[in-house]
Formats: sequence, structure tokens, C-alpha cells
Amino acid sequence: MADTDQVMEPSIDNPFISSPALHPRPTLQNVVSTVNFGCTLDLKAIVRHARNTEYNPKRFAAAMMRIREPKTTALIFSSGKIVCTGAKTEKQSLTAARKYARIIQKLGFDITFNDFKIQNIVASCDVGCPLSLVRMSTFHGEFLVYEPELFPGLIYRMKKPKVAILVFPSGKIVIAGAQKTDEIFEAFKNIYPVLMSFRKTK
Amino acid sequence: MADSFCPDCKRPTEVVFDHSAGDTVCSECGLVLEAHSIDETSEWRTFANESGDNDPVRVGGPSNPLLADGGLSTVISKPNGSSGDLLNSSLGRWQNRGANPDRSLIQAFKTIATMSDRLGLVATIKDRANEIYKKVEDQKPLRGRNQDAILAACLYIACRQEDKPRTVKEICSVANGATKKEIGRAKEYIVKQLEVEMGQSMEMGTIHAGDFLRRFCSHLGMSHQAVKAAQEAVQKSEELDIRRSPISIAAAVIYIITQLSDDKKLLKDISLATGVAEGTIRNSYKDLHPHASKLVPSWYAKVEDLKNLCSP
Repeated sequence: MADTDQVMEPSIDNPFISSPALHPRPTLQNVVSTVNFGCTLDLKAIVRHARNTEYNPKRFAAAMMRIREPKTTALIFSSGKIVCTGAKTEKQSLTAARKYARIIQKLGFDITFNDFKIQNIVASCDVGCPLSLVRMSTFHGEFLVYEPELFPGLIYRMKKPKVAILVFPSGKIVIAGAQKTDEIFEAFKNIYPVLMSFRKTK
Repeated sequence: MADSFCPDCKRPTEVVFDHSAGDTVCSECGLVLEAHSIDETSEWRTFANESGDNDPVRVGGPSNPLLADGGLSTVISKPNGSSGDLLNSSLGRWQNRGANPDRSLIQAFKTIATMSDRLGLVATIKDRANEIYKKVEDQKPLRGRNQDAILAACLYIACRQEDKPRTVKEICSVANGATKKEIGRAKEYIVKQLEVEMGQSMEMGTIHAGDFLRRFCSHLGMSHQAVKAAQEAVQKSEELDIRRSPISIAAAVIYIITQLSDDKKLLKDISLATGVAEGTIRNSYKDLHPHASKLVPSWYAKVEDLKNLCSP
């Protein structure tokens, strides 16, 4: 087995750590993207004609539109920019954004599909065993914030790739703030050996 | 009595200091070496119950390096009796022009002092809190926040830095009008600012249940044996897989230990002393109960007593 992931404690004989193929894989939960349609939109008109749209200007300045496939929600601003949330993969987010563009186009606006950008990708994962957050916080102090009084999870801000990882004592983790799917997997590859070295052994 | 060189005797001789005249006199030949020495001790003694108009003290408080000019203050006061409208005179108005750059600082320091008094904190913690506040004061993102929350957060950080942490709920209780959330957010912000300014020398360890145990136990009036047992139990609990806040664990451990002793404390009392809700203590007790035999030290209670522990 090629030990590409050098673990800190050589005595760990757990196959899950030494072979990357057996690592758990993070599952993407949410992809947020933004697009610029390039023309001002009349939100009142959109709400009137589209079926699945809410607009409450007193509460929030954007209209919320939802489509069923891919299951996403879009915030449509009168400037012509939209935020598309709820997609499960980058490709789905792009498809959804194009669908929203189609809907708005059909309503009679002159749409161009500019500056599509994935802003945030969130993924979750389970390392399988409970973790000792207290021990972890004493070792990696620079990147960590652990305030059990304020939040039960430990917040690890990785510099490269620039993501935030929430680590919970149950062993479940959340990786957020990535701009590409690869960043998620890279972050997980970096953090997995660290997490496993702070397992709670019964 | 000191030894000084006397010019007449031409050798070091014993020298006497005469307080009444302020003279330094050689005891061998009687030559006055220094006259009119200035006495730097306090002129008047101040007592707590004496005050009012006839306060003869002419000096102010100790100099505070945190304030801009060292805390020097001379104020134009109202004259006794005669014309009470002299404060409206030009001099009085001049005094209150309000351009004192330290006014908000002094106000903030006063609030911090009140809060730390209520918690019974030592002067080191109060001074540290003052320093922290001075470092972060008057920065733009802070302006929008609740001033009380910021001061409370400074106090919280100071306690943590001195290794005498106080729970956020305790700080909440003496800070007027600041919620736990606000204090938490202010604390995060201040910590970030301090790291930027001081370059990562922030040493604030995570809180442990053991840090608070001593205080909670003394609030409840537990016996010395019980306190020791509780401390041991808390040490052992860190190894177990219990996913609860350290304060809740401390409260639950106190509950277990007191249930095993003769002096049983009510859930209500523990809840009041620790700030943990009764329901939370009950739930934490449910988590800890299966491990009770591992936690409670053997010299404190026998296994049969543990069986008598009511199952939640």
C-alpha cells in the first residue's frame, strides 16, 4: 500500500488512514453561484407572470424563484444579478442558472449569461469515530477556534485551500467556503490524518 | 538611622533623620547634613465614611498609564455657599467644554471596574481588561455594537488570559443588557483584533470543566471531601465520549457527587450556582450515569452506593 498520506503516529495500523482509497468521501451538500443577466429586471412583472416566485419588497429587495429540476432557489435582484442556491454539484448549479435565465428570457427580458461564478461549495462527511476536540485545540492553536460555551463544534480555518472546516465531537465534519469541488477533496485529504490522530479511544 | 559621609568627621558616621524639622544630622558631631527635606508620604488619611465638603486631600489618585495624560485632573469647583451660579461663569464653562479625549475611556474603565467588583475579581484582571479595551477602543466595526457587550467581552478575555475563566453566563449576570450572543460575537472580534495587533501572542487555552469546579462547589458550600471527589471525577470524564459543554458536565458531576454524600443538593440550587438549566443538568446526568462507576473515585463512595443513584 502506497503510504502517500504520512500519518503522525507510525503506530496507527488502521488501514483507513494509510490507504486513501478507503477514506470516507465528503458529499457535496450545497453549491452557491451568481450570474449577471446584464439588464435591469422588473421584479413585479416577474412575480405576476411566473408561477413559483415570491416577492416581498418590504422584507427583502429580491424575488425568490424556485425550480424543481435541479431543485434550487434563485434570488433575483432588480439589477439583473441573481444568486442560485441549493444545487448539489457545480454542473447542476450551472444548469439551474441557465434554466432561470430561460424563464426570465421567456418573460420578455433581454438576457445575456455573463460572469457565472461558483461562490461557495459546502460538503459534509463522517470520519466514523468520536473526536476529542479539547486535545485538538491544544495542538493546532493557530488555525483553530474552539469555544464549547458558544458553539459545540471546532472551527478550523485551513489556509490552503482556503476553507473552513467545522469539526464536531461526534466525528461528523462540514467543509465550507470552497470555490471548486477539488478544493473540498483536497481539504479533506489534508484534515483526515489530523482528525484521526485525535480520536477518542474508549 | 543610616550611614553617610560627614564632612566634619571626615568618615562615614551614623546619621539620624529628624522628622520634625526635616534635618539629617550626624550623630557624632551634630552637623546638619541636609535640611528641609520634603516628606513624600500621604498628607491626610482618608476614611470611607468621611467625606462631604471638608475633604482636605490635595492630591488625586494613582497615575494611570493607560489614560492620555496620566490621569491628571484639576477641576473648577463650586464655591462654598455664596453664589451658586459661578459654575455658569466663564471659568466653569471652560472646564466643561468636553474636549477631554479620555472621557469615554474613563467611563468605560469605570464600568469595567463595577463589573469586576460584582464578580469579585482581582485588580490584575481588571487592569488587563482595561488594557484590552484600550487596544480595541474606537474602531469602526465596534461602534455599531453594544458598548456593554464589548466591555463584558474585554473582561471575559482578561479572565481567560489570567487562567481564571468565568463562564459567559457569569459575565452576563453582571453586564447590564448584553446577551450571551452579543458577548460571544464581541469576543471573537476582539480576539481577531488583538492577534492582528500583537502578532499572534494570544494565549487563551480552551476551557475545562475543572477550572470552574472549585468556584461552583464553594458557591454550594460542599465539603472538602466532596470537592476533591468532584475534581477527580471531572478529570476522568474528559476521556469519555460525552458531547456536552464543559459547564454542563461540571454541573452534572456536582449533582452525582452530592447525591452520593449526605448533603444532597437540589437540582434547583445547582442550577442557580452554575447557571446551567435544570433540564440540561438532567440530560447531562443521563449521559454520565452509565459511567458513574468510572468517574466517582473509589475512596469516596462504594459501588453499592452507586447503585442507589437514582436512574434518570
